[in-house]
Amino acid sequence: MKFHFRGKPIEAKLGDTIAAALYRNGQRIFSRSFKYHRPRGLLCVSGRCPNCLMNVDGVPNVRTCITPVREGMRVKAQNAFPSLETDFLSVTQRFDWLMPVGWYYKTFTHPAMWHAAESTIRKAAGLGEVLPTPRTEYEHAWMHADTAVIGGGWSGMQAALAAADRGEQVVLVDDQTALGGETRYRKRAGEIPAGLIRTIHAAANVKILQSSYCFGLYEGNLLGVLQHSPHPGAAERLVHLRARHTVVAAGAYETPLLFPNNDLCGVMLSTGVQRLLRLYDIPAGKRAVIVGGPERTAEVCSDLREAGIDIIGLLDPAQIVAVIGSGSVRGVRTRSGSLPCDLVVVCGPRIPDAGLVAQAGGKIEWSDAHRAFLPKALPTDVSVVGDAAGETVGNTSVSLPTSKRAFVCLCTDVSSKDLCDGVAEGFDQIETLKRYTTVTMGPCQGRMCQLSAIEVCAHETGRSAGQTGVTTSRPPNPGVTLGVLAGPRHHPIRRTPMHYAHETLGAVWMDMSDWKRPRYYEGSSSAGEKECVLREYRAVRESVGLIDVSTLGKLDVRGHDSGKLLDKVYTHRFSDLRPGRVRYALMCDDGGIVLDDGTISRLGDDRYFVTTTSGNLDFVHQWLDWHLIGTGWDVHIVNVTAGYGAMNLAGPKSRDVLGKLTDCDLSSHAFPYMACREAQVNRIPVVLLRIGFVGETGWEIHCPAEAAEELWQVLMEEGREFGIRPFGVEAQRLLRLEKRHIIVGVDTDALTNPYEADMGWAVKLEKDSFVGKVLLSHAGKEQSRERLIGFVLQGPGVPPDGAAVVVDGRPAGRVTSSRYSPAKMAGVGLAWVQVSKACEGASIEVRIDGKLVQATVTMRPFYDPEGARLRQ
Amino acid sequence: MSFLIPCPNCGRRSVYEFRFGGEVQQALAADASVADWINYRFNRLNVAGMQTEWWFHRSGCRQWLKAVRNTISNEVVESFLPGERE
Repeated sequence: MKFHFRGKPIEAKLGDTIAAALYRNGQRIFSRSFKYHRPRGLLCVSGRCPNCLMNVDGVPNVRTCITPVREGMRVKAQNAFPSLETDFLSVTQRFDWLMPVGWYYKTFTHPAMWHAAESTIRKAAGLGEVLPTPRTEYEHAWMHADTAVIGGGWSGMQAALAAADRGEQVVLVDDQTALGGETRYRKRAGEIPAGLIRTIHAAANVKILQSSYCFGLYEGNLLGVLQHSPHPGAAERLVHLRARHTVVAAGAYETPLLFPNNDLCGVMLSTGVQRLLRLYDIPAGKRAVIVGGPERTAEVCSDLREAGIDIIGLLDPAQIVAVIGSGSVRGVRTRSGSLPCDLVVVCGPRIPDAGLVAQAGGKIEWSDAHRAFLPKALPTDVSVVGDAAGETVGNTSVSLPTSKRAFVCLCTDVSSKDLCDGVAEGFDQIETLKRYTTVTMGPCQGRMCQLSAIEVCAHETGRSAGQTGVTTSRPPNPGVTLGVLAGPRHHPIRRTPMHYAHETLGAVWMDMSDWKRPRYYEGSSSAGEKECVLREYRAVRESVGLIDVSTLGKLDVRGHDSGKLLDKVYTHRFSDLRPGRVRYALMCDDGGIVLDDGTISRLGDDRYFVTTTSGNLDFVHQWLDWHLIGTGWDVHIVNVTAGYGAMNLAGPKSRDVLGKLTDCDLSSHAFPYMACREAQVNRIPVVLLRIGFVGETGWEIHCPAEAAEELWQVLMEEGREFGIRPFGVEAQRLLRLEKRHIIVGVDTDALTNPYEADMGWAVKLEKDSFVGKVLLSHAGKEQSRERLIGFVLQGPGVPPDGAAVVVDGRPAGRVTSSRYSPAKMAGVGLAWVQVSKACEGASIEVRIDGKLVQATVTMRPFYDPEGARLRQ
Repeated sequence: MSFLIPCPNCGRRSVYEFRFGGEVQQALAADASVADWINYRFNRLNVAGMQTEWWFHRSGCRQWLKAVRNTISNEVVESFLPGERE
């Protein structure tokens, strides 16, 4: 297999991770550190340290030591310029005395200083950049289990098998490429339990998630599991794993020791060396010095000898003065002389990996016997087994030299000297020390540095490690990409029954919540939006237009007590509405704030047809249901939104068009404004509402969805002789604005009451009781601060939504809707202004493109103020 | 937020299937004072502990239900349909 590193092809063996393939090909520097740009090489080889982070196929901060090579992938170094080997910014380490601990807080004491330095610092520090790249595929999956086992080592497999034998459904999550845990690379841990692994693979009720890590344990026993390359089509998959019981068998991991230059390339953890050797057949170096206590070094010595690596010396950490080398290790200086070598193998303390227990609410407590923090007081549905519970963990005390070059935190370059300074400056609690120095706050989330930081803090403050305590473990740990959290872009799209008719007519689409609606119709012309909208506008005002309004929320309300319910939740009265009549419906909450509006038609004694705004349907339906609870009323509400198609035929010629297709008497005498009828149009059963959102004679026609496209086509056909045009949302908004009809949520907000919106006429305070009555009558008496007014511009231009209204040079309100009105031949709009300006003829100014334009206030519709055309 | 709500109709489901409907409050008399209505509309007890709440099972049975939730741990200890026990 081949992949590209810095543009050059690199050969990889089957089973190689990116880092293994690079190491085999001689690469030793894998990254540059965050602050001082010190060269860093492989350390843990298990995805737990920050040293091998690179940009892979445009994704930053990929842990290359656990990411398998894929053919053709492109790998780049990050945070280094011009290259990993020569990074100009490494000069910063010579000026480390300028950057003491808490440097940011001490230096940037004034906002101006920070703003001046910010862009430079952002470029110099940081971990990679997000490149505009082809989208990587992410996906989500959901799984349920009786038992989830985290960790595929010996203990994890035993626990999984035991649960499987009890007949439970088991999911086993393992972050390695194969089951076996330590046995795969530590000879001392025993033979790879091939029999056990075979049994587990054969068990029908055990599902194994390989190359997957659990990054958090959340409420309700939800485990966040990230699965790498679940299939060739996806880079990562987020598994929402819900388990009744979680077994943490994540094992223990090794951490570095403190001595000067403990971060040079060539200083590696013993388990890292063992992994390179056994998993990838790569000897990490030629001449090695082994550092650590005798209990681990014996095992490592025998492994290295077997691989043909010379062992130059075995050292106790306290003997080390410093590791020598610039970039890579050249030797170790000890109290008794120097040892030349190219590899320093660190046998560091092992940390039980039980962060998940703490996230689940368990306690982590210091154990003097193990010299480690162990999980205690487990929640009932979590258990811990194996090394995660400290089974074979037995650390010895370590030396803690104070040096600017003994790095505790590799992620953000925090040294033991920095920690000591932090404590001396008064940050002597581990949690405050963490926040002040950023120790444990880097990409490794404290895995490499937590214990050292606690030990340094304990030593400096004269407390024990147990008294010092442990920093809080929070998910996600390890980190996850934002892409996988966001998941695939599965956004539902709703299309109206006439969608494809609009497509044929050349609709230009817009999104309205989930719906696709024609914004305007381009047709076959090359005209721009403005021209098209004006053409549609003229058709409605002068002859006839047709708009698809199927997105309106539609509720069929039936039952003996329907009127009672509508009286209760709407501000107008509906129990006295005569069958065959329509009324405007306004809904307020208990505070008298406008929630929604629409129309309510009474189709029969016990039968109402309610429309809501497109976006509020679910809310209104739930609101009605909620207000029915406990009443015992006979009301049945059915959401018929998708069942009905709807269109509005409007314009002076609309009667002529509709009259050709129905026997229903459409004359104003028989079918007046605000009336409704059930009828047949072209033998399609319909409900006709004579209402006028756009301000012309017209009918809102509701029909079965399956017949809507046919009805649309027929109306377009029959309207041709009158010059009918389909019109879109943009023309409708202009038409309604000229009539000063408000749109709830556009012209009103979460503080608007009907009186302020000039719709007091829709509130019937004399009704018995209804939602919002008490506070509405209170609001009706109170002088409100603002009113919704109409304005006509005296100069050119149209203000954008939200434009400022200015009176006497001071901000005095805001524009909610504005368009150029062909009827007024001027820009018109709606705006909220202070009450003193809410009177006919008052003068205000509106801000357009930074200039103030004079406008006159009007409280009447801009077009046909008497509504004569509606009633014709 | 990832807790489960036991729906009386559908069983234990993810909280994301539900819409939160607020604390269950004492109903007010229609002729209660303005101050009482303002208190009802804008003030919440916001208890730290067990609280009975309205939830609507949007992606399930589409019914309103009441659930008793520990606001500290987000554990929902029981749920019932309105009117089942008042």
